[in-house]
Amino acid sequence: MMDGTIIETKNLTKIYNGNIKAVSDLNISIREGEIYGLAGPNGAGKTTTINMLITRIAPTGGSATVGGFDIVRNSLAVRRLIGVVPQDFTADEDLTGRENIMMVSQFYDVPKAKAKENIGRLLKLVELEDAADRLVRTYSGGMRKRLELIIGLVHEPRILFLDEPTLGLDIQTRTQMWNYVREIQQKLNVTIILTSHYLEEIDALAGKVSIIDHGKVLITGSPSDLKASLKGDIITMTLTDQKSADLMKTVPGVIEVVDAGPNTVKIKVENADEALPRVINFISQHELSTIKLTVQKPSLDEVFLEYTGRSIRDEEGGMDRMKTAMNLRRARQ
Amino acid sequence: MSGLWPLTVRELKKWVRNPTFFFTGLIQPIFWIALFGSAFDITKFLSGPSGSAAASFLLDGAPNYITYIVGGVLTTMGLFTAMFAGTQIIFDRRLGPMGRFLSSPIRRSSIVFSKIISSVIRILPQVVILVVAAYLIPNGLKFVHGFTIVDVLIMATAIILIAFIFSSIFSVIATRMTNMQSIFGIVNLVNLPLMFVSYAMFSKAMMADWLGNVAQYNPVSWSAEAIRTVIINGSLTSSQWVQEGRWLGALAALAAGLLLLTYYLVEKEIRD
Repeated sequence: MMDGTIIETKNLTKIYNGNIKAVSDLNISIREGEIYGLAGPNGAGKTTTINMLITRIAPTGGSATVGGFDIVRNSLAVRRLIGVVPQDFTADEDLTGRENIMMVSQFYDVPKAKAKENIGRLLKLVELEDAADRLVRTYSGGMRKRLELIIGLVHEPRILFLDEPTLGLDIQTRTQMWNYVREIQQKLNVTIILTSHYLEEIDALAGKVSIIDHGKVLITGSPSDLKASLKGDIITMTLTDQKSADLMKTVPGVIEVVDAGPNTVKIKVENADEALPRVINFISQHELSTIKLTVQKPSLDEVFLEYTGRSIRDEEGGMDRMKTAMNLRRARQ
Repeated sequence: MSGLWPLTVRELKKWVRNPTFFFTGLIQPIFWIALFGSAFDITKFLSGPSGSAAASFLLDGAPNYITYIVGGVLTTMGLFTAMFAGTQIIFDRRLGPMGRFLSSPIRRSSIVFSKIISSVIRILPQVVILVVAAYLIPNGLKFVHGFTIVDVLIMATAIILIAFIFSSIFSVIATRMTNMQSIFGIVNLVNLPLMFVSYAMFSKAMMADWLGNVAQYNPVSWSAEAIRTVIINGSLTSSQWVQEGRWLGALAALAAGLLLLTYYLVEKEIRD
């Protein structure tokens, strides 16, 4: 805790039914105040990791501390410290939004006046004031997600766990949720642990990310460092003729240039921001003209590909992966 | 026990807000007393002076079958309502709220005890309605020897204990199950046997020997007899008090045992 570490796992392991290894020897360290992403495909062990950290399930091996408390020996202290927004809806449909939050505030013994004040502020934050006194069963999916988000915050936790916060939401609602998450982190100064199999979500929100697969951490770093570590932005250029395209192969200060169709080359550079002026200078010096120019920076998808050898999208459709994910889900229930 | 109060309030809100759930529960006692009171009344076959003596013997001195059966119907109603306490636990797991409860710093047992307490509370208005209905129907409930506040308290105690006993049994079963059908299966398997292998509807004198012997160990019999004794006799003799004490004592001991067992089992594990 001295160095600002708020969550630390040591060889954290969970084996279901003696043989389904959901999480194995996981080591992560999360600093206070950051948004930390756990990325990986379905069945990678993200939710199981979260469920252990929030003390909903017990690990079968290793250990972890949350806010300095051991998750097994001191689970009640951990629960008091954290807020949780699980993957599934948890609000009671037969109560109003406000009643749901009020009930949860009582679980944490928040004094009533304080709870009312917090609830008012949180409802405003996610723009649910108008719907607050309607039964939750009348809410849309996006509204329910927003409600879940603030239910987890009513007792002013120091740490917030967000498990797949935008799963199943449309693109617009998703970006809106991202804004809420950012606002929460800034205004309420909480540490946020975020899981998602949408890599762009992790990229948009997290300051640090661990990519996990098969229950293990493959790599940890900030999204920009991870992307930079790939050392490969791609500049794709289409020129007026093949001769010009061939000439481009002599451009200095790049990693490589390859053909990519008629009159088109792909230039691989370490960093497109720095390389592009050089490329453009080269073009004007040789009086070439371009028809089309695109710059592609690697996304976390490429990072995932690099470290797992597979694309996260391929994996989602894979039969084996589907089976693993389903087995995990079943084992969890 | 933190969490018990907000969770119990939640259950009661859900009950009051669901008109079907609420009103059917209130109408049910009227159906029961009217139907059971007519359907099982075998004393109608007995006539003349010897007939009424036999009827009085079979009904433990009650003036008519409705008066005899009220304790049994009250108990059975408590039993049937209580057996469904567990289903709410499975709903909570299926629909999500359980996840929230389990990640909150509340006692695991408060989740289950909130179901038990609310199902006990739900039964109380049914008790009042049933007694009033039994009193109002023709040839209905008669308090021949008066009815005192002590009698009311004894009735309430018996009902609360029987409801507690069966809601805790079925809630504990539900904490170990994920499937609604299994719970319904178990309820259907045991509800009628519990009712008929007891003195709820018939006295021991009307039963086959083996049935009468088994029935004396059924908590449903204890509660039915405890209520029946005060309804038929009004103020009790000392020997009747001893018997009354045995029934209520047995119910209380069983309820206390189940309270501890429920606490122990649920704190240890509640399926996610």
